[in-house]
Amino acid sequence: MSPPSTDDAELAALLKRAGLSLTVSQVKAILPGVEIVQRMIERINAPLPREAEPALTFDVEQD
Amino acid sequence: MPAILTIAEAARLIAAKKLSPIELTRTHLERIRRLDPQLNAFLLLTEERALADAKAAEARQMSGALRGPLDGIPIAHKDIYNTAGIRTTAHSRLLQDNVPTRDAHTVKRWADAGTVMLGKLATHEFAFGGPSFDVPWPPARNPWNRDRFTSGSSSGTGAAIAAGLILGGTGSDTGGSIRGPAALCGIAGIKPTYGLCSRVGILPLAFSLDHAGPLAWTAEDCGLLLQGMAGHDAEDPASVARPVPDFTAELGKGAKGLRIGVVRHFFETDNRASDATRGGIDAAIDFFRKEGAEVRDVSLSPAVDYHAVGYLIMITEAFTLHAPWMRERFMDYGELFRDRVSLAAIVSGPDIVQATRRRRVLCREMAAAMEDLDIIVSASQMGEAPRIDSVPKWANMEKPSFTMPFNVTGFPAISVCTGFGVGGMPVAMQLAGKPFTEPTLLRAAHAYETAMPWRAKRPEMAV
Repeated sequence: MSPPSTDDAELAALLKRAGLSLTVSQVKAILPGVEIVQRMIERINAPLPREAEPALTFDVEQD
Repeated sequence: MPAILTIAEAARLIAAKKLSPIELTRTHLERIRRLDPQLNAFLLLTEERALADAKAAEARQMSGALRGPLDGIPIAHKDIYNTAGIRTTAHSRLLQDNVPTRDAHTVKRWADAGTVMLGKLATHEFAFGGPSFDVPWPPARNPWNRDRFTSGSSSGTGAAIAAGLILGGTGSDTGGSIRGPAALCGIAGIKPTYGLCSRVGILPLAFSLDHAGPLAWTAEDCGLLLQGMAGHDAEDPASVARPVPDFTAELGKGAKGLRIGVVRHFFETDNRASDATRGGIDAAIDFFRKEGAEVRDVSLSPAVDYHAVGYLIMITEAFTLHAPWMRERFMDYGELFRDRVSLAAIVSGPDIVQATRRRRVLCREMAAAMEDLDIIVSASQMGEAPRIDSVPKWANMEKPSFTMPFNVTGFPAISVCTGFGVGGMPVAMQLAGKPFTEPTLLRAAHAYETAMPWRAKRPEMAV
């Protein structure tokens, strides 16, 4: 399955949600990297067993 | 021109009062003045400080009060390491006038060991964006061929050591930033176990992946430098409180009896490395086998799985740190840093939780694979250094890295030169070990290096 495609407008909206209000040309410069990151996201979202906890699970002895 | 010494050689001569730290420092300052205009390895030369450090080292030498093998040794720091009263820029316009008031923990440790600080070294912007031509200083060049890339982000450290401008230097490694420059510049560089060296006072890129470590001409020198860096620091929440071993204790024990696994699929099928890189690894495996090591292939998840986990965590942690500046001063960053890190905007909360869950699965997988192994071998880089002016913006994302698996797991790993490939450019292998087994890792690297001719060859410009 290929990752979902994202166009300039969708990327601009995601960047804005992250607090980056960028110009059209600034968004276009980032766009070619989106597909590469989407492939990574697809990769890490392959199913895991429910008991697989995050690596950064809270550790009561840390503080 | 005097021969370039290793740290171990210089330390022996200094201890025997056959080498003056002041003369050694002057020799390296002269080399920097003559060669660095072609390399751009230094962002700042601290000549006055160097001569003062050298004078103090020589006084200790004369009074029989040397502090150890690093006393009087010329070094320099990657410019993300804070140096009190000395500009620390991260190679970025955003910090071009930044003067810290306090040394990084590791900078102080090396100073206390008697090192002579020659200056601050080029990096990729904030240890991530490079090679960049739109930041206030040019990128470092590779001494083996100045049209070629050094890799990064400890680019200035790699170039300066290969050219003999310094004998050792600091690096940081979030996805391969020590081992990459070590590989492409033909030197050695060790990323220690996560938590072994304090990151306090080092400008962070991604907290859960950042490691501090040294680069040098040889593995033995890396061990000596690591000795001066490692140890608990209560100010670093990741710092591990455990006794620091003698990192050079196992040198000379050879490779006999080592149990070595080869992650062949990483560099043969997952991301096929160059002929010279694969040939160098095969020759090293033959060497280890002939020396009496047990060698077998070992299989892990595809390199792309480690790469995806590491990369997504890296850009989201980096964005978290840089968001306030990126929102206000986006164009003050170089294009490579700002565009790569901005991609964190498309990573969702569930995605990052899923990445950290998968990280634990991969950590367990690697620990299980290494249960009956001492060392695992793979490539450091895909091959010989590319042209510095043709490194694509997305180059560090598109193909899975060989170094990132050991940032994801935190296991120690060292890059060692395995010879020279196309155009006479260096190639390398990567040796990794179980957590806190740096002495064994350095033992294997040292056994290989001392049996091979590669450490006798320097870049032509440096001879």
